Amino acid sequence: MADTVNNALDPQLDRRGFLKGCTMAAAALGLSDAMIPKLVEAAATAERPRVIWLHFQECTGCTESLLRSSHPDLARLLLDIISLDYHETVMAAAGHQAEQNLHDTVSKHPFILVVEGAIPTKDGGIYCKIAGKTAVDILAEVAPKASAIIAIGTCAAFGGVQAAAPNPTGAVGVQDLVSGKPIINIPGCPPNPVSFLGTILHYLTFKRLPALDHLNRPLFAYGRRIHDHCERRPHFDEGRFVEQFGDEFHKLGYCLYKVGCKGPETFSNCPAVRFNDVGVWPVSVGHGCTGCTEPNFWDTMTPFYERLPNVKIPGSGIIADADKVGKTILGATAAAVGIHAAVGIGKRLIKGKDQE
Amino acid sequence: MATYEKHHCWSVLLRLFHWMFALSIVFLVTTGFYINNPWTNTMIEGSLSFPMATMRYIHYVAAYTFSAAVAIRLFLYIFGNAQERIWDILPFTKRNLNNLKMTLLQYSYISDKHDERLGHNILAGLAYLFTFIAAVIMVLSGFFMLYPEASFWQGWGVMLFGNQQFARFLHHLLMWWFMIFAVIHLYLCIWNDANEPEGLISSIFTGAKFKHKA
Repeated sequence: MADTVNNALDPQLDRRGFLKGCTMAAAALGLSDAMIPKLVEAAATAERPRVIWLHFQECTGCTESLLRSSHPDLARLLLDIISLDYHETVMAAAGHQAEQNLHDTVSKHPFILVVEGAIPTKDGGIYCKIAGKTAVDILAEVAPKASAIIAIGTCAAFGGVQAAAPNPTGAVGVQDLVSGKPIINIPGCPPNPVSFLGTILHYLTFKRLPALDHLNRPLFAYGRRIHDHCERRPHFDEGRFVEQFGDEFHKLGYCLYKVGCKGPETFSNCPAVRFNDVGVWPVSVGHGCTGCTEPNFWDTMTPFYERLPNVKIPGSGIIADADKVGKTILGATAAAVGIHAAVGIGKRLIKGKDQE
Repeated sequence: MATYEKHHCWSVLLRLFHWMFALSIVFLVTTGFYINNPWTNTMIEGSLSFPMATMRYIHYVAAYTFSAAVAIRLFLYIFGNAQERIWDILPFTKRNLNNLKMTLLQYSYISDKHDERLGHNILAGLAYLFTFIAAVIMVLSGFFMLYPEASFWQGWGVMLFGNQQFARFLHHLLMWWFMIFAVIHLYLCIWNDANEPEGLISSIFTGAKFKHKA
């Protein structure tokens, strides 16, 4: 019997896997195949860039999705082309030794900083502490010395679920605290590992960061709207919709717009790059997009199975459907108009019409 | 017997604005409801019916008409005739504040006295100004959603609304204002026409109002 376990866990990245990973990144970046040798050359160079990976308020899902992609070459390629000096999940060092590594790299070498997770700012930042220091302090210490900062995941980019109303810990993204440094946001819950790898390889090959949009997301991965690249788009234009999950239309693969798909509001390469190396993404398996790459997604994209957010009437605790609120106000207006007209007619009946 | 004098009140451009605005809103609201919650399900694939694409097409044609109307109104607020300029309706002068007070008293049946003036009464003018601002927000959020990948609109849109979904939410909520406004506007036009014979309703077709001879 073949030793699949040990094969799958083979720590050596072979040449074939290496080239495959570089090719995937080149495709994601939209580069021509003539650029692949340059990418390979840049990735194979002896000088590996140092990377410090900080974890704050997060679930480690971004790291997990990177390391446990079914295609092991991607994560290995990353670990092969960078020198990951500090990463709480995968580093061998512990305790004071780990802190020493962090300190050494920060003070002695140029490095790229990767941040995963939001940073709590309320009450002096006490809601996230590592080695006795708050996340705010760690970021303030490390960020000014980084040559570039990559905020991976929606939490590090925009605050994510921690920053959802009422945001009890005052969580914010990296760009709200750090200025004067190039910051690249790679949002998603989790983001596609290919988008992260593409950004790193772009930096290594061209010695500069990829073009960014207005939210500092790389355009190669977040330049297009999901809706415009969706395989179910023809169903949308031709008016064929899933009415509820599990119905006949759902089985036929119709558009998920009416069950709350946020594809029209969301920018990401999900329909093109897909996940888990088996060509799937949420919409392809019958679930609408939840809009996880957008700022404030937890507040504005919920309820996930409705088209629009609910209206919260301040001070009353009332949460209602936007159309119900509209209909109620319209109804009240019509009633007020009716009463106003009745009062006018009543007054005229009592007083009689003024003579001109 | 009262005698009346015919006065020119509304320019051709203002009347054009009014009807472009009114008709485009009818189409925008109808197609907007469909786009938010499509009520048909065509079910037959390859049937050559494109209800969503058609509704969106009508929505965008109406949206450009609406945007042009908003641009005309902005022009008239600055360069229009005496009744159309923004200073005529802002409650800052003594004359305008007095008109606002008298209009409120008249509308609440407390007083029968009508403060006669050629242009809008101040209450109406303020309601139109509020609607104009709402219309500007509709145009901005609309273009942000229409051109999601254009850098210009993304820059403005992200700054004003945060993300596409919030723009959509605001666009939908503000749509209700236009329906509420239409109900009040139609009612008060008829009410005023019945109470004060100055030709209020016909003035939006002809541009002329009738005032008591001094």
